[in-house]
Amino acid sequence: MATAIPAGSHPAAQHHYSSTGLDNIKIAIWAFIGSECFFFGSLISTYLVYKGRSVVGPFPHTAWTNPATGQTLHAILNIPVTSVSTFVLLMSSLAMVLAHGAVVRGDRKYSRIWLLATALLGATFLGFQCYEFTSFVHEGLTIKTNLFGSSFFILTGFHGAHVTAGVIWLLTLFFVDMKRGLQPRDAVNVDICALYWHFVDVVWIAIFTLVYLIK
Amino acid sequence: MTAHRSRRRRAAVLTAVVSLAAAACSHQAPNSIFNAHSDFGQVLDGLTNRLLFLAAIVFVLVEGLLLFVIWRYRARPGNTEAKQLHGNTRLEIAWTLVPAILLALIAVPTVRTIFRTEAPAPANSLRVEVIGHQWWWEFRYPDLGVVTANELYLPVGRTAAFDLKTQDVLHSFWIPQLAGGKRDLITNHTNHLWFTPESTFVWNGFCAEYCGASHANMRFRVFTVSPAQFDQWVAHQKSGPVTVAAATPPAGGASAPAPAAQPAPDTATGTFPVADLPGYIVPNTPLPPGAEVPVTQGDAQRGAQLFRTNACIACHTIQGVSPGVVGPNLTHVGSRTTIGAGLYPNDMRHLEAWIKHSEALKPGSKMPPMGKGLPGAMGQLDDQQIADIAAYLSSLK
Amino acid sequence: MATTVAVPSHAEAHEAAPGGIWGWLTTVDHKRIGQLYLYSALFLFLVGGVEALLIRIQLWHPNGTFVTAQTYNELFTMHGTTMIFMVIMPLSAAFFNYLIPLQIGARDVAFPRLNAFSYWVFIMGALFMNAGWFIHAAPDGGWFGYAPLTTRPFSPTLHIDFWVIGLQILGVSSLAAAFNFLTTIINMRAPGMHFMRMPIFTWMAFITQFLLALAFPIITVAVTFLMLDRFFGTQFYEIAAGADPLLWQHLFWLFGHPEVYILILPAFGLVSEVLPIFSRKPLFGYPVMVYSGILIAFLGYGVWAHHMFAVGMGPIADSIFGITTMLIAIPTGVKIFNWLGTMWGGTLRFSTACLFAIGLVALFTIGGLSGVMHSSPPSDLAQTDSYFIVAHFHYVLFGGSMMGLFAGLYFFYPKITGRLMSETLGKWHFWLTFIGMNLTFFPMHFAGLEGMPRRIYRYDANQGWDIWNNLSTWGAFILAVSVIIFVVNFLWSRRRGAIAGNDPWGGATLEWTIPSPPPDYNFATIPTVTSRYPLWDARSPRLTSDVPHTAAGEQAVEVDVAGKHVGDTRFPADTERNAPSVPLTAAQLGIHMPSPTIKPFTTALGLTVMFIGLIHHKSLPIMFLGVAIFLVSLYSWVLSPVEPEH
Repeated sequence: MATAIPAGSHPAAQHHYSSTGLDNIKIAIWAFIGSECFFFGSLISTYLVYKGRSVVGPFPHTAWTNPATGQTLHAILNIPVTSVSTFVLLMSSLAMVLAHGAVVRGDRKYSRIWLLATALLGATFLGFQCYEFTSFVHEGLTIKTNLFGSSFFILTGFHGAHVTAGVIWLLTLFFVDMKRGLQPRDAVNVDICALYWHFVDVVWIAIFTLVYLIK
Repeated sequence: MTAHRSRRRRAAVLTAVVSLAAAACSHQAPNSIFNAHSDFGQVLDGLTNRLLFLAAIVFVLVEGLLLFVIWRYRARPGNTEAKQLHGNTRLEIAWTLVPAILLALIAVPTVRTIFRTEAPAPANSLRVEVIGHQWWWEFRYPDLGVVTANELYLPVGRTAAFDLKTQDVLHSFWIPQLAGGKRDLITNHTNHLWFTPESTFVWNGFCAEYCGASHANMRFRVFTVSPAQFDQWVAHQKSGPVTVAAATPPAGGASAPAPAAQPAPDTATGTFPVADLPGYIVPNTPLPPGAEVPVTQGDAQRGAQLFRTNACIACHTIQGVSPGVVGPNLTHVGSRTTIGAGLYPNDMRHLEAWIKHSEALKPGSKMPPMGKGLPGAMGQLDDQQIADIAAYLSSLK
Repeated sequence: MATTVAVPSHAEAHEAAPGGIWGWLTTVDHKRIGQLYLYSALFLFLVGGVEALLIRIQLWHPNGTFVTAQTYNELFTMHGTTMIFMVIMPLSAAFFNYLIPLQIGARDVAFPRLNAFSYWVFIMGALFMNAGWFIHAAPDGGWFGYAPLTTRPFSPTLHIDFWVIGLQILGVSSLAAAFNFLTTIINMRAPGMHFMRMPIFTWMAFITQFLLALAFPIITVAVTFLMLDRFFGTQFYEIAAGADPLLWQHLFWLFGHPEVYILILPAFGLVSEVLPIFSRKPLFGYPVMVYSGILIAFLGYGVWAHHMFAVGMGPIADSIFGITTMLIAIPTGVKIFNWLGTMWGGTLRFSTACLFAIGLVALFTIGGLSGVMHSSPPSDLAQTDSYFIVAHFHYVLFGGSMMGLFAGLYFFYPKITGRLMSETLGKWHFWLTFIGMNLTFFPMHFAGLEGMPRRIYRYDANQGWDIWNNLSTWGAFILAVSVIIFVVNFLWSRRRGAIAGNDPWGGATLEWTIPSPPPDYNFATIPTVTSRYPLWDARSPRLTSDVPHTAAGEQAVEVDVAGKHVGDTRFPADTERNAPSVPLTAAQLGIHMPSPTIKPFTTALGLTVMFIGLIHHKSLPIMFLGVAIFLVSLYSWVLSPVEPEH
């Protein structure tokens, strides 16, 4: 690395010297994502540890008859609907890539379109999640019901909170773009948002696989 | 007993060597983890001694080297120029390898011991269920139909296999001089520990996992007795309490005078002769100021009546009298040496104070004070009534 | 001793920064934030120390009645929590803040405002948790907070609420700081300072940041579960719902063991700075020191269950965790030997800093050896939850971390304040600490081996424990005296200590090239680094004659020793600009520094208010107020530039 440094003095004004050539914020977001891996790792592990250990239903993949009332609660996860919302979230990652590309090119028209599209797809995913949570509550599953309810809602709820933060971030970028226009020099700000967004997407794929698909 | 005492002295001597304190030769260590009196404890001892030995050698070498370096290389007129060296690969490899070898010397016996001590208990073991409560111990012998509290009886020479459970929070079952090692009681789990007691005596046991307000007051005693005495004890525990009062039908009108409180013969109860107990077994916990109950004479007959008609029966079992299971089983409470989970000696004075002021004697105690007019009191008992109940409980041999 | 530049007018160095309380609330200068951490942590050290002293008075004699059972349980809980999260971690953070930018030749950390935010969150979390004392609701569940004791059914009152939320707030602080320092170290090293030229303290700090970033999310999850259980009725630790208490233990110790290295590695780093300077030798085996630090951190994630040998995990798990724990002793031992190697052949000058550093080597060895003793699961069954463990981790944390931090404090105090601490008082401080520490904690080994359980507020007479407890309490009094001497020294030297100059110890690294205290911009010219010990290259080249340097080729001053070419350095050329006799202001030099701002403070305040609302009967208005303050501050912070527009 040392050889890459041009010889000679480093003027005081050049204090944004970077050892790696990357922007600080980009390194920070990677550190943050690393940390988040452990966060979601702990949540997912908890879900898996508690899988099948709930004393009362409803259960994710099997029906349960309440011995006291004789009422039967069917398996609660709705995989077809969640597959659709998963597809929506995956598509939002594609839109994110296109938005980033547009900002790098300085293409203001498409940067706006794709930023907004990403945010809307994310919001659609959240809509699906709201629908899912509401219907679960109607079917008798809340955070207080059993170990499954607690670990399921808190895991997917934290993911949903991350998506929400991402949507707000995307909308902020979108409004900045509307107001003054994102320039290629702003690309790093879109870049880190994209990293975050893709990460949240990947986490969802892990959740979808481990919680919904594997019985 | 002499064999036992000489072991104790050896334990003391070993501790003294470790402590490098000559004064420790006369030092009593009645709960030492060294020279534990069971097969399990001795296996652990062997390992711990090896670890201590290696640690002592490394300690002397490293600290000796440090002292030498400090003395030899201090700045002084003859030593003004530092030798310049920034590393030495061969040395560094050496001091990576040597500790690795030392650790291998520990790792091999460690793994061997783990598999030996965590194997399933032998088939003919005596099964004992240990159930932790905030803050007392319930001991059940499912194969013998015996339930008792805070005092555990084990026959020497037969493996005792413990199923460890807890009713509430986490606890840990530890008899340092008997078993050496401890095992936690985990909610919604059953844990296992087994060992074979090797000498007859009485041992202190403790809760070793923080469990709330009275964690410090959650103690117990273990009596290791001969198989014959154990059988007597079991037979006695299965029978009703040896007292006229308990035999009296619940329908009041008691006419027979209560028997004078006298120690039941050991041959009848199988309990350990209290007179032989060493000082560290008899609790010295002082009563809090103002807890003494002035009345010293109680009537067991009246006490039996009061026990039945008060809140006592809601929590305590006395065989043939009451079914409560919240607190300790009191069927043979009079034959125990301590009350309050090893906290106070089992005598009239402490029993009275306990019934009247339980919370003051044992912080957080789930048993509410029964004395009349006390804050948080559940009962409305005056001092004479308390003395009567205490007399009744004392009579339950 | 290396030559020092003429006495700097150190008082003027702070002229540029806004003064008064507002100046401290709005500062984004890493050096002032470092000082805030330092003063806060030292104050909390006194708080935790008083708690320890009360514990020792209670245990002085059998069946003590000095405090009640409840108070005792609060004392040991808060002593542990305070010393770990509010003393050793923030003291380390004080050094991270103050030193990392100076050691890597940067003007500030990567995100100065995030740095201020970390501090304010930390101090608010610390105050929050301690506020429990004032309403008789101090936490009482132990620093480890084992479920189900800490769940609502067994701890219905506010005690545990303060702990859960306080810990949550402190976690935010540590995480934010970790991202900041990771970025700073990765991206803001001066030209030429590649990783293997980084000062060893910065290296250990770097490793610590990885541990923080990857361990705190786990405790955050564990504590979040407990918080949700307590406030919103989830079932994570509800035993009636079939919950498994081992979930808490696994999550807690998955965090808790890396936490141990979070506590010790910064102290290792400080000692590795101090010993070479006072031996007049480069650090012995620098690469091995770095690799062993990395290895310790890496293995630190694979040993958590050694805190759980008594819970009955089964023979295979016990064997695996026993062996990984033993493995960790190897890199730790290597560090001890390399410190001995550093001193070997040197000319040792026993300044107070050096004494504390040697104290760490001597005492950490004891803690390390007792640690190896309970790495063996069957043997640990006899030791765990007894006073033997209390002895062990006090040798590691007091004999290790605190000794190292004291060494660092005596060593860097002149850089921070411009004045030296009194060596006379310092020596009293060291010797009383050394004696008091051993008298307090060594007897605990015997109390533990003789069967004394931990966390008991009273013990019976005739158990053989009286003598050990008596000795421990006397030791605690000696420690109290030593701390008083330290406080006097710290305050007295601030005004009356000898003027330090740039480089009072003959240091080797960049922080010693600039005035003490440094100007707000640190370096007038960002230096170019060609070796591990730039200052020694320039001033005492013989010290580094066989340490690798950059190959010739850069425009460099050649360094010859006895006619033999040994290296190059650019350093002397910059010295005059970096350490002028009268420091210039940033404006005079044309350096743009981040503007002071209150936003990090208000953002932290919003977060805290939100949690206060939660604890206050789940008061929605207060929680919304907190969220509103938080979001408004955060948005206005994120959308405003770091520096004034230019």
